[in-house]
Amino acid sequence: MPKEQSNEVFMPPNLLKAKVGGTVAGLDTAAIKRAAEAVENLKTEFSDWLTDDIARLGTAYDVFLAARDGASCSDLFRASHDLKGQATTFEFPMVARVASSLCKLMDSLGSHDKVPLQLVEAHIDAIRVIHREKIKDISNLTALTLVEELETRVTKALAHMTPKD
Amino acid sequence: MSGYRFDRLKILVVDDNQHMRKLVITILQAFGTTQILEAEDGERAWTVMRDANPDVVLLDWQMPGMTGVEFARMVRTSPKTPNPFVPIIMLTGHTHIDHVRQARDAGVNEFLAKPVSVKAILTRLVSVIEHPRPFVRTATYFGPCRRRRGAAEYKGQERRSTATVTALDD
Repeated sequence: MPKEQSNEVFMPPNLLKAKVGGTVAGLDTAAIKRAAEAVENLKTEFSDWLTDDIARLGTAYDVFLAARDGASCSDLFRASHDLKGQATTFEFPMVARVASSLCKLMDSLGSHDKVPLQLVEAHIDAIRVIHREKIKDISNLTALTLVEELETRVTKALAHMTPKD
Repeated sequence: MSGYRFDRLKILVVDDNQHMRKLVITILQAFGTTQILEAEDGERAWTVMRDANPDVVLLDWQMPGMTGVEFARMVRTSPKTPNPFVPIIMLTGHTHIDHVRQARDAGVNEFLAKPVSVKAILTRLVSVIEHPRPFVRTATYFGPCRRRRGAAEYKGQERRSTATVTALDD
């Protein structure tokens, strides 16, 4: 291995620009409006999509309870991570916030045998309640109280754990 | 001045969540994209990459099996990659700066923290079309230049003393 590596910097051909043509200045504002309308039309499906994703989270937790292994723990994390990323798009930002708290908890665990079951269940229950009660307002007092309590409990739980690395 | 012809682009959407795929594809179709490929995991995406050679990849991070970061690294460095330069836009629920760095170090061009929006997707597409970054090849990295604001503004120690700058086009 030579002491000094030769680093190469080069500009590949801009094939994308050649393909799409046009300019950013001429960007079709109608296309942007059309996209916004298409998303608006999808909104009728959002609650059903969220129902599916919440059911998936519940199933992932049931599977984890039965298996208690790394693979089912990863599935549980992915299900909560999907909710964290998508629930706001699906108009349930407080579900996203609870899922974010659950992700923080799961992501900080060193191993699947350290999963605090009661705290995970509390998150899943909170997500179900917020969705069932159709709470979409981020200033809803019930949801805020719930999520702040969960976030506090996660902070405390993590403070008592050994860092995973 | 005319706008972009998004109908000329072939875009691969990789996400294990079917709802997120549908949302992203709906937005892309509204932009005018007609050639949209989808994959629910990294393994399938790799097959699609090799079969269809898309122009842009929209990639989720958390997927069963191969993660989005692993997929991006494979696209950039595998001897079997059909296109190591393909622009990769990562859509993820991860928001921590460490995750942004990991994605960058795997060769991702653009990072989009969910929730996704029409504007956010369009902005990232415009970025890879209008502001492609030079590529860098070192002993440990191959991918878009990671100096996000450009080499001219880089204030750190210069490690590219032997760098070769080759303009292949533009």
